[in-house]
Amino acid sequence: MTAATTGRPGVDTAGAGAAADARDTAAPAKARGGWRALAVQPLLVLLGVAAYLVWRATATLTETEARQLNATALWTSIREHLSLTLVAAVLVLVIAIPLGIALTRGPFRRLSPLVLAVANTGQAAPAIGLFVLLAMWLGFGFRTTVIGLVLYAALPVLRNTMVGIQQVDARLVEAGRGMGMSAAAVLFRVELPLAVPVMLAGVRTALVLLVGTATLATFIDGGGLGVLINTGITLNLNSLLVSGAVLVALLALAVDWLGRVVEHVARPKGL
Amino acid sequence: MSDTKAPAGATVASSGRRASGLPIRLEGVTKRYPGQDKPAVDAVTLELPAGRTTMFVGPSGCGKTTLLKMINRLIEPTSGKIFLGDEDVTGQDPDQLRRRIGYVIQAGGLFPHMTVGANVALVPKMLGWEKKKVAGRVDELLDLVGLDPTVYRDRYPRELSGGQQQRVGVARGLAADPPVLLMDEPFGAVDPITRQRLQDEMLRIQDELGKTIVCVTHDFDEAVKLGDKIVVFDVGARVVQHGTPEEVLSDPAEQYVADFVGAGATLKQLTLARVEDVELRQVTTATVGGDSAAAVAVARAAGDDFVVVLDQRGRPVSWPTLAELGRTTSVPGTVDARLPVVGLRSTLNDALDTMLAASQAGVVVMGNRDSLAGVLTIESVMAAIRQARAAVAG
Amino acid sequence: MWDYVLDRRGQIAQQALQHLSLVVQCVLLGTVIALLVAMAVYRSPRATALANGVSAVGLTIPAFALLGILLAPFGFGITPAVIAVTFYAALPVLRNAVVGLAGVDPSLVESARGMGMSRLATLLRVEVPLAWPVILAGVRTSTQMVMGIAAIAAYVLGPGLGGFIFTGLSRLGGANAVNSALTGTMAVVLLALVLDLLLVLAGRLTTPRGIRV
Repeated sequence: MTAATTGRPGVDTAGAGAAADARDTAAPAKARGGWRALAVQPLLVLLGVAAYLVWRATATLTETEARQLNATALWTSIREHLSLTLVAAVLVLVIAIPLGIALTRGPFRRLSPLVLAVANTGQAAPAIGLFVLLAMWLGFGFRTTVIGLVLYAALPVLRNTMVGIQQVDARLVEAGRGMGMSAAAVLFRVELPLAVPVMLAGVRTALVLLVGTATLATFIDGGGLGVLINTGITLNLNSLLVSGAVLVALLALAVDWLGRVVEHVARPKGL
Repeated sequence: MSDTKAPAGATVASSGRRASGLPIRLEGVTKRYPGQDKPAVDAVTLELPAGRTTMFVGPSGCGKTTLLKMINRLIEPTSGKIFLGDEDVTGQDPDQLRRRIGYVIQAGGLFPHMTVGANVALVPKMLGWEKKKVAGRVDELLDLVGLDPTVYRDRYPRELSGGQQQRVGVARGLAADPPVLLMDEPFGAVDPITRQRLQDEMLRIQDELGKTIVCVTHDFDEAVKLGDKIVVFDVGARVVQHGTPEEVLSDPAEQYVADFVGAGATLKQLTLARVEDVELRQVTTATVGGDSAAAVAVARAAGDDFVVVLDQRGRPVSWPTLAELGRTTSVPGTVDARLPVVGLRSTLNDALDTMLAASQAGVVVMGNRDSLAGVLTIESVMAAIRQARAAVAG
Repeated sequence: MWDYVLDRRGQIAQQALQHLSLVVQCVLLGTVIALLVAMAVYRSPRATALANGVSAVGLTIPAFALLGILLAPFGFGITPAVIAVTFYAALPVLRNAVVGLAGVDPSLVESARGMGMSRLATLLRVEVPLAWPVILAGVRTSTQMVMGIAAIAAYVLGPGLGGFIFTGLSRLGGANAVNSALTGTMAVVLLALVLDLLLVLAGRLTTPRGIRV
């Protein structure tokens, strides 16, 4: 899932047809459309959760399945999955955003195409291969999984931070410097706020990527909902398999929705 | 804010202008870029007078913008010295320096994520002004550039037209009351009619404030209209001529300047004649909400066949004929969007263009701060043109 | 490592070919489906929003989860692999095709209609060629993404290079475990790069000369 910059909600273009002189009214209309579109996704998730709960309450399960799918066990799996995602996400933000900013500053700017090329090539590596190799090198478990996830999900954030800052109109930067703002003031008060929408799109892409990739943690003893899928596949227990798959998909949708809400709220007014 | 409504005698003599600016002196200012054998700006020495507008003109790539940006050190000079007043600012902290120099760029360069008010308040805040003073200043400036603060202060730039954005850009440049204002092709991005209005506004504001303005343009007509002094550059920012618009027009220093000025130089003399130089017709005015019949009676007595309707703040909004006004009981407040308006310091060319664009035989002339100065008729414009032609021919 | 690769060059080549053929066929199929859907929806704002929603939501579903869900009805083998890979291949193309078609200057469409071209001719001779660079960018995104998904598909007994990775994992501690996983991973990266290069080349050849950048 790469094309992060284009991953904006499709409704963004819906208001574009408004006449130029209706600008004042066009803006709130766009916002309303945005909220309406944002309402669909959580409904979908809730519907999915409800359907799953109904199925869970009525299905006949084998002993193993029942053990794995009781509330406590299920909750543990979900918590593991979430903690993998969250720890990796925090690390990704802490590493990729400052790095992305640094790569748009003076002397480092020349390095940015190189870094992007390397990162893009790295993205072509299959996640499962990366995980297995890392585990062979660093040992199995939670820590290695997090490292693998961070390596895998850092690119969208890194790239969108760089692109977001680079696409800020150079004349605005010059206007800022021209009126006596320091380089740091221009970065924090002009460049970063204007880069926020693109950066957040990258963060959302990374989050979804993390939830999905964390399912592979099961192969290197990292836990999470992937365990259900994997056990289901190896022991041929369809209920486990489908439970894991459906729950991960719902989790990914929920996280994606949260990301969209944050994007919507944090988007600077006036843009 | 001046509330003088008297249209008569509203002419402002250029010589009587207040000068709050500082002179700028450039001494041997040079910019060399690595890897280029010829300097972009080659040892320019110039004195820009305090409180006057100096226009930099020349073909694109001649180095005029580079020279402008060296004054606020957005581009560091390779060698040479820059003085603001008597102070050598070449070695000063550039950020501190720039807070004392207003900077206005094409399309305003407004920060889209900040409101109009926040944009204007930026520099005063950086200078540590207290909140109340900043707020007062923002309103004062918006008012100065002809935008109602209560309407526009909390809007975002994208909710403004191009011309309005440019006005805010000027307000932002003036925010901390800098002695010097640098403008880089400020009116390049707006349509001709809006550009002419903005130019008029700028002349009016400069009359009021008397800043030292340095303005880059590639439009020679604009230079003639706005400049007290014009500097014509050739490649490498070589100063070809430095003088008043009259001098540059009537006595081009080199064939190059003559070419740049254009073949119609004698006709361009017309752009030197200002509306304020011609006698304006004083007309009957009526205030929105007043009694229509009374207004019609006053106009009849004065021999006018129309009146100019002013709103509560004294700004003209329409000019109905007596027949139109007679059909109403109280003076209507409808704003006539096509009302042709020019400023006192507009050129006669502008006035003529405005009349033609509105298909009217006259144009309303504004004095300071949106107050009415009178009406200019096509007859007086034509008379002035005939006079100018005769003068040129003779 | 080198010996390992040399010893198994036949097997590697065969798996690489299978991986490649799975990816290429699924991307082709996905592209055709996506284009058809895009052509059907792009003129109706509501259908466009729906298509965008489907592709956005679809892309959030983890590949391993979808493979798992598909295993239940289809069992092990190539069917779930093909369905999953095609599904993920189609979504980015769909998104880009809708954006690309919607981005064609309406005045061009109008002038094509004005000179008497039929709706279909306008679509195929004006709109699709103009949107082609954007569509192709979607195909590139798809291909890169699907390469990795195909590697996971090996786990449900689909063909391809993923097999080396899982073999390495299952023979952990064995002599060639690292070699096996490394071979699988590197081969996928190489294949992805080669395929991307080919797509760029194809892009040069199939983009009308007037709109090449």
